[in-house]
This record gives sequence, C-alpha cells and structure tokens, in this order.
Amino acid sequence: MARANATILAVNSLTSAAPVLLPLAYLLLVLTYGLLFFRGEGGASRIARPLLWGTILLHLAYLAAITVRWEQFPGANVPQALSVVALAVSIVYALVEAISGERRTGAWLMLLAFLFQLSSSLATGPQPRPVEVFQHPLFALHIFMALLGYAAFVVAGGYGFLFLELYRELKRGRFRLFFGRLPSLEVLDRLMSGALLVGFVALSSAIAAGLAWGLELDTTRWLSDTSVWVTLGTWVLYATTLILRRLGKWQGRHTAVACLVGLGTIVLSLMAYNFLFPTFHG
Amino acid sequence: MPEETLITDSLHIPDGQVPQLVLVGTDYRRADVQQRERVSFDAEEGEEVLINLLARPEVSEAYLLSTCNRTEVYLVPREGHDAYACARDLIFQPREPALVNEGRLYIKRHREAVEHLLGVACGLESMVLGEPEILGQVKQAGQLAAATGAAGEVLQRLLRGATSSGRRARSQTSISVGAVSFGYAALDLARSIYSSLETRRVLLVGAGEMAHQVARNLRDQGVTDFVFTNRGQERADRFQEAFPQAQRRPFSECQEALEEADLTVVSTAADRPVLSQADVEAAARRRADPLLLVDLSLPRNIDPAAAKVDNVFLYDLDSLDTLIQRNLRRRREEVPQVEEIIHRETDQFFSWLQGLEAEPVIARLQQQAEGLRREVVERARGRFPESTHEDLDRLTRALVRKLLHHPSAGLRRDQTTPSQLELVRELFQLNDGYSPMEEPVENPGGEGDS
Repeated sequence: MARANATILAVNSLTSAAPVLLPLAYLLLVLTYGLLFFRGEGGASRIARPLLWGTILLHLAYLAAITVRWEQFPGANVPQALSVVALAVSIVYALVEAISGERRTGAWLMLLAFLFQLSSSLATGPQPRPVEVFQHPLFALHIFMALLGYAAFVVAGGYGFLFLELYRELKRGRFRLFFGRLPSLEVLDRLMSGALLVGFVALSSAIAAGLAWGLELDTTRWLSDTSVWVTLGTWVLYATTLILRRLGKWQGRHTAVACLVGLGTIVLSLMAYNFLFPTFHG
Repeated sequence: MPEETLITDSLHIPDGQVPQLVLVGTDYRRADVQQRERVSFDAEEGEEVLINLLARPEVSEAYLLSTCNRTEVYLVPREGHDAYACARDLIFQPREPALVNEGRLYIKRHREAVEHLLGVACGLESMVLGEPEILGQVKQAGQLAAATGAAGEVLQRLLRGATSSGRRARSQTSISVGAVSFGYAALDLARSIYSSLETRRVLLVGAGEMAHQVARNLRDQGVTDFVFTNRGQERADRFQEAFPQAQRRPFSECQEALEEADLTVVSTAADRPVLSQADVEAAARRRADPLLLVDLSLPRNIDPAAAKVDNVFLYDLDSLDTLIQRNLRRRREEVPQVEEIIHRETDQFFSWLQGLEAEPVIARLQQQAEGLRREVVERARGRFPESTHEDLDRLTRALVRKLLHHPSAGLRRDQTTPSQLELVRELFQLNDGYSPMEEPVENPGGEGDS
C-alpha cells in the first residue's frame, strides 16, 4: 500500500514538474548546441552529449508516467502527441549524432524539439479519457507509427530548412550564418532524404493500421474526418517527392521545399486539432 | 653536486642576473622582397651563421628564423655584452647594408622579444593573418639551432613555448580557419557542396600558372580524379608533365568533360566566355548532382548568366574575394584571444626565467646546509656505534632536505623579488665566502641528536 502510494506520488510529481522542466532542458540544449554551431568544438562539446541523453531519459520517464497515469499510450490528445514528437526528434537526432559524429545541426534540431515541447507544455487541450478503444493494439500501432512518421518529417523539415539556407547563401555568394558552419549540401540532402523515407514508411504503416482499425470498428466515420484527409494529402506529397527523386527529376532543393511544406501542414493541422477537437479524430 | 648548480653553470648566470634576450630582424613590413631575398638563409647558411654567432664572446645562445617574409635572430647575450652588434655585423651588414643604414631593422629586448616570437608562431605577424606554415618554419629553425648547439636552455624553453602557443592558437581559436587564397577558397566552396572531394571529378580549363596552383591544392586535398583541357599545346604539355596523373582532353571535348565533372575551374586568357549559359544548362540537365563552377579568369570566361541555372553554383574572382575578406575579418576578430594565449605563455616563460635567477641562491643555500650537516655528523660520529653511522647519515640528510624544501620552493616562485633574494643571502651569509668548516659549533652533539 505504501509502495503504491509512493509510486502514485512519484508519477504525479513527474507529470506536474516535467512540463516545466522539459522545455527548460531543451532550451539548455539549444544554447549548448548553439555554442557548438557558432564557436566550433570547445567547452560546450563536452556537456552537449550527456545533456542530450539526460533530457531524453527525463522525457522518457515523463511519458512513462503519463502512460501509467492515463493507462494508455501517450498520444491520445494533441499536447501528448506534441511531446512524443519532441522526444522522437531528439532521439532521431541523438542517433544521427552517434552514428555520423555530425553535431553542427544539433542547435536547429533541438530548437524544433524545444518548440514542440514548449507547445505541448503550453497547450490547454482537454485531458484524454480512458476509453477502452484506445487500449486496442491496432490503436497503439496506429498512434506509434503516426507519431514516428511525424517526428521523422519534422527532422526532414529541419534538414530541409538548413539545406535551403545553405543553398541560398552558396547560390548568392553571400557567406553569412550557415556557410562554413553546416555540413555540406550533400550530407544535408542525405540526412533529409533518409528522414523522409523513414517518415513515409511510418506514416504508410500508420494509415494502414488506422484503416484496419476502422474496418474492425465497422465504421465509415473516418470518411468525414478532416484529419484523415489532411494526413492522406501529406502522404501523397511525400510519396510524390520520393518518386520524383527516384526518377531523378527532383534534386535536393525541390525535396527541401516539399519537406518544409509537409512540416508546415503537420504543424498547422496539429494546432488546429488541438483547438477544435478533444482528440485527433474529433 | 646538486643538479641546479650544473644548470646555472651551463647558463653562466651570476647571482641575481636574469639572462636578457635580444631580437634583431626585418620583415615584409620593413624590407622589400629584394632586400628580404638578400638576407634570406637556407639551412646550410643558417647553420654557418649560428656557429659564427656562437664563436663571438658576446653570444651565449642564438636562434635564426629565416622565411620568405622575415629574417630574425634571437640572441641570449653573455653578461655585460650587447649582442645587437653581432647580429648586425654577421647577418645584415654584409648581405644588405641598406637595411642597417636605412633603419629597416627592428630590435626588441626581453619581454617584447618573447612576445614577438610567440606572435610569429601564432601567425599574428604573418602577411596573411593566421597562416599555418609559419609554425612549422619556427619549429624547423628551432631544430637547426638545437642541432648546432646554438639554442641552449633559455632559447629551447622559449621555442617550446612558441610551438605550444602556436598550436593552441590554432586549436582553441579560429585564427587559421577559412580559406584566404583563391585556390583554397574554391576548395572551401566545394567542401560546402560535396561531402568528400576525394571521390569527385575536377575539370581544369586552362593550363597556366593559376591552373597549376589549383591542381597543387587539389592534390594536397587528396583529389585524384582530375581532367584538364587547354587550347595551346605547349602549356598543356607542361601541365601534363607537372601532373602526370591528370587526364588530358582535347579542347573540343570541353562540353562532355563539363557534364562529367563536379567541380570545374576555368582559368584561361581568352577575352570572351569559353562556357556559355547554354553549355552550363545542358551539362546541369544531364546530371543529378550540383555543378560547381569557379571562374578564375579576367575577363571572365564563364557567362555570368550561368549562375541562374538551377543546381549550378558559379563563382568568379569577386565572389571568391568576398569569401576571403569574410574569413580574414573572422580571423581578425580572433586576435585578442590569441594575444591572451601569448600573454599567458610569456608570463610562464618569465616565471621559469625568474626561477633561474633564484637557482644560484638555492644552490648556495643547499651547499651551506650540506656542509654544516657533514661537519656536525663528523663531530658526532664517535659517540655512536659504527653500525648506526649509515642511518645517521641518511637521517641528517633527510632532515636537511625537509628543512630546505619550503624555502627553496618559495624562492623559485615567480613573485620572488631581487630584494628578497638579497635578504636570504644576508640571513644565511651566502655572500661572504662562508665556509662551514670554520664555523664554531657550540654543542657538537646537539644537532645530531635532534
């Protein structure tokens, strides 16, 4: 009984404190990686990695606490989804950093994670209800894949933005903020298209799982659901981009523009759902 | 004999005298290129000069730095001598009297001389701020001075400091970051577009001096796949001779070569564009990767309108200069940080030098204490059994060492002033030819017992 009370207390404390602590931790990461971006490898390089993984662990603990508290996968409402996307962006970046050793894009990716987490902490969406249908495995798969896809598209959008900025500086011969501080266009293109592919596969799986779930529920309500059509529109955009790249018709710049359009659509739709509906699908 | 005495003996430093440093030299700011050429020394000549300098009674140590932009000699004079005249008479006067007569030499002493050498090693004194080659030249000249025996304790310590400052300036600041020549600027741009240059193909249109320079830079960066084309046969032959690995293409195949290359550098003497917008458009259409074009010619040899083509990056001399100026501006912003490194290293060097000043006093103090110890032990030895004599010796030696440890360490600290050293000399009577054996011992057994 005492142990159960202690667990409840810990879960409650974490769910109350993390919405404040996490944006601060991400802000600290933005500043640390910002120093690395502007000043190169120096004192900041020693603390950047431990700080990144420490923030990821805190974020994981927070989401685990939410799962325990609401007894469902965190992602049933927009604030939770934004927080999961922020975490997924950080994990994707941490893996990219660990594999490639590339740290010069960290400030920008962490800025995205910070903005998502800040939006999550500030969002005043209704608390999710413990609905039985949300505990269905297909729902969990659908949510998990959708959020993974969104996170990958956010990363692709981040790299797309950096690609376009560097491209613009190089094209105009005006060497300002990004030239000499970012990896090459080729590396940015590779990171962007990699994230795009992962996002596309994840979103396709999310759509398939959602469709299967809809069939199981024997409902056609999704046909009148705006979020489904927005998601399908995003899917078509990314599919077209990947096909045109494959055919050699589109290069880095076109892909970057498509990634930014996709990112804008995702962010705007998430915000709209938050203010208009209690959950993604109304 | 204690080690400290050996060091001070080798430096010939009398009590209370810190060795003075003198720098005599000229550089690109004071002398034109012809004058600098005359006072430039290769390794063999440099060695001869160092030996001649050491043969002079005024000079204790010497170091000669001779590059295309400067000739400088650093000297540690013997006591009471002015080594400047040696440098003037042996190095500058015989080769280029105008430097002496027209006042084109600079003379710096002590701290100024040290800071100057550190500044040179860090690239602050270079014609191109922060250029990296100078550090290697400082080290090479140091090796020559050490090999000939010209650089002793003081100059070797100074050169170690110069090398370490130079390294720190380049690793801890951005004083050497960013290209500041056209060839390297082109490579910097290529590195911002492609992840690796080693696997990329480079096309050089033209085979003049600029093409040679770019090809050398490319080779240094590990580029192996380069193709060149030139209208004139003779220049093309010379280029092929200098770069046998380069693939030669007839000028008529320029368009095909352009399509296959990732980086194209054009440097011909043509008075109108050799690559039109249509040529570039056609090449860009047939490739997925970006196309980087660098026009090093004047008048320009690539149609400026080609810059509008999607996925094509075109740079001419003006845009490369923009990049160079930006990098130089950034380097200039780093100067205060480098100066901070220089000040710290200079302070450390003078602390070390100050330590040398205290060494003779410490050595005398230790000699005196050791004399006293021996005297007391000798007198007391008879009162102890023979089997304990060795222990007695060890015990008293340890005691003396412990007693003198803190005063010696205190004297070696850089805050020690000459008046403090004088006080120590007076207190322990180190100046008056004191001989412990003549000192009466009131209680011969007392100290041995304690």
